[in-house]
Amino acid sequence: MMGETQQLLRETADRLFRDLAEERTLDFVRLWQKLDETGFRSLLVAEADGGFGGNFRDVAAVLRLAGQHALAAPLAEAMIATYLLHKAGWPVSDDLVTLAAGSEGRLEGNLFSGTLRAVPWGERAGLVLAEVEGGLILLPRDKATQVTTTANPAGEPRTRLVFANVPALVAPATGDLLLLGAFSRSCLIAGALDGALARSIEYANSRVQFGKPIGKFQAVQQALAVFAEEAAAVNCAAEAAALALDRGDGRFEVACAKIRASSAAAMGVATAHQVHGAIGFTAELGLHHLTRRLTSWSGEFGNERWWAEELGGLVAALGADQLWPEITRRG
Amino acid sequence: MQSFSIFPFEPPGDVQALRQEVRAFIAAHMPQTAAAGRANCWSVADARFSRSMGEAGYIGMVWPKCYGGHARHPLERYTVLEELLAAGAPVAMHWVADRQSGPLILRYGSEELRQRIVPGIARGETYFCIGMSEPGTGSDLASVRTQGVRTKEGWRINGQKVWTSGAHYSQYMIALVRTGEGSERHGGLTQFLIDMSSPGITVRPILDLVGAHHFNEVFLDDVLVPDSMRLGEEGGGWAQVTAELSLERSGPERYLSSYVLLVEFIRQAGPAPDAATRALIGQFTAELWTLRQMSRSTAAKLAAGQDPMLEAAVVKDLGNSFEQSLPRRILAGIGGLADLSDASELMSVLALLLQISPSFSLRGGTREILRGIIARGLGLR
Ligand SMILES: Cc1cc2nc3c(=O)[nH]c(=O)nc-3n(C[C@H](O)[C@H](O)[C@H](O)COP(=O)(O)OP(=O)(O)OC[C@H]3O[C@@H](n4cnc5c(N)ncnc54)[C@H](O)[C@@H]3O)c2cc1C
Repeated sequence: MMGETQQLLRETADRLFRDLAEERTLDFVRLWQKLDETGFRSLLVAEADGGFGGNFRDVAAVLRLAGQHALAAPLAEAMIATYLLHKAGWPVSDDLVTLAAGSEGRLEGNLFSGTLRAVPWGERAGLVLAEVEGGLILLPRDKATQVTTTANPAGEPRTRLVFANVPALVAPATGDLLLLGAFSRSCLIAGALDGALARSIEYANSRVQFGKPIGKFQAVQQALAVFAEEAAAVNCAAEAAALALDRGDGRFEVACAKIRASSAAAMGVATAHQVHGAIGFTAELGLHHLTRRLTSWSGEFGNERWWAEELGGLVAALGADQLWPEITRRG
Repeated sequence: MQSFSIFPFEPPGDVQALRQEVRAFIAAHMPQTAAAGRANCWSVADARFSRSMGEAGYIGMVWPKCYGGHARHPLERYTVLEELLAAGAPVAMHWVADRQSGPLILRYGSEELRQRIVPGIARGETYFCIGMSEPGTGSDLASVRTQGVRTKEGWRINGQKVWTSGAHYSQYMIALVRTGEGSERHGGLTQFLIDMSSPGITVRPILDLVGAHHFNEVFLDDVLVPDSMRLGEEGGGWAQVTAELSLERSGPERYLSSYVLLVEFIRQAGPAPDAATRALIGQFTAELWTLRQMSRSTAAKLAAGQDPMLEAAVVKDLGNSFEQSLPRRILAGIGGLADLSDASELMSVLALLLQISPSFSLRGGTREILRGIIARGLGLR
């Protein structure tokens, strides 16, 4: 059950993310400063090492809230990167450190040449962590020879970084970066679905057409019920994935959660907008902060198909009669 | 607001050991059948298997020992059930009695009734059917018209039930009956335990769309029922039936009815299938795993004494959608020239489930009714 520190953590996150959602024009440097003051990025770092000593369930709780309030910052990236940095035994600085979800290139000794793609807030970061063939690497962003920033569908910066023979810190590859990235997206989606659902229900109860709130129409009720089911499924899956990660092996569970989250995200976006009508399509209402992020997150760190192939390959290799024993063994 | 939060599933004792025990039991007692015989297995009746389950202590697991039960934890029972369902064991014969009738009698029946009837259920010898639906009463259960009128010794019951699964092999029915004269809707309903060998009862088979005899229509003509067979307060039937439906809706059977098909699909795919097939297997696995997490969480809440009515409706609807969509998605995803008349394990179980899966979102409360319950829970109704 939840302890006092956990409760406090959730309350702090909820308050801060809610405030930040109300000042969307805030300059990024200020925003990041406010966020980083909380120490969230060292949530997974042991207390002995100056961290919060939290677990993946805490991460899930914080990221759910970040999703629910459509937080526009690379908090998940910084949390995961900081955790991986500690695991690798590398020094940690106050610089913003972010993750590269995709990369191509080669490592010769400790020299990296290649491209890191879709790096969240890459231009703002001091360090970028990536997993390439041959290892987990940490690169100083200012050594990139080409920096091209575009936006994901939520309007968040995604940067393409090209490096040529840049010395990197190198550790053995574990697959953790993509896995934890996918886990973070599942938690964010879970929260954003709950957020969009709550807004949709509220709207359906207040918008009047044909003389009554549209939420009284059965077609609207049934659509929102399905939305609620999908949100429930993703929240459950993300939390169960966190539990598995806390037990030490979440490969199977994170794959399941990301697949489930990605398909639910698409459905949630469609229903939230359908229920809101034209007003939901405006910049002003701000529903889009949630729905455009849902769209972005469902594609990031491996889309539905990517993880489905991965998981399907694993299950097929186990064999038909091993699926049930495997699922039940894992808890 | 968080739409769904995990409730820890923590039965006492060594769960893995319990699983191994059930798997050994299944290996020893379950008749060898083709995959098609293992699909939707909680509609497959086998008296011998039910008796062997009774002997092994797998029926009435949570009931007190003085009624033939085994005083186990509800989550131990859940674990046994999910093992049986995943294996495709033929559990229909005792399913209703174990799931809802036994608990109802223990809760609302007289001491004499409990002593007389419950031990037989736990032995896997006494079977029950559910007398809720009527020709004019489907989703709108409060419109029940079968009537009970007081006599000197008890009640005279007249009316008709329909879609009564297993009425042809059950010794008892628990029927929802209108006893309040001139009553309407939720008031004036009472539940009775009816001995199916009573004079005045006629059971007629209704063949389902594949020609199988699973459900029936049951006519009640001047059936005399002693007052001792009344369950609960006169007029209190509605509250009881709602609680009963909660039990009926929250189990692992609500998402596992097509599991055998998934197993055969993976078998056919082999250890290293093409990308499209891997993707399909991955999708199905993710949905299955998520549903299992949700179902276990809901079961754990129930076991802890909470009433997760909303969660149960969510799990049933999502679960039914999964088990119902699996056959058509597999048919759509099979490579090569699929031949549904083929007698192979995969094709025969697929063909069967394609035909019967439409019923998954009807039985136990339709999709629309469940979504209505959820909408109410969301504050929309
Ligand atoms: C295989 C099987 C076994 C069964 N076994 C039993 C049994 O053992 N005992 C028993 O008592 N019953 C049994 N039933 C009956 C089952 O409970 C009913 O089928 C179910 O409650 C629906 O009732 P109905 O079939 O009359 O459909 P109807 O209620 O007539 O519904 C038809 C359609 O209309 C929709 N609908 C109805 N009302 C509304 C509404 N308010 N809003 C929106 N849509 C609505 C329904 O969702 C459905 O799609 C069984 C059914 C099946 C298929």
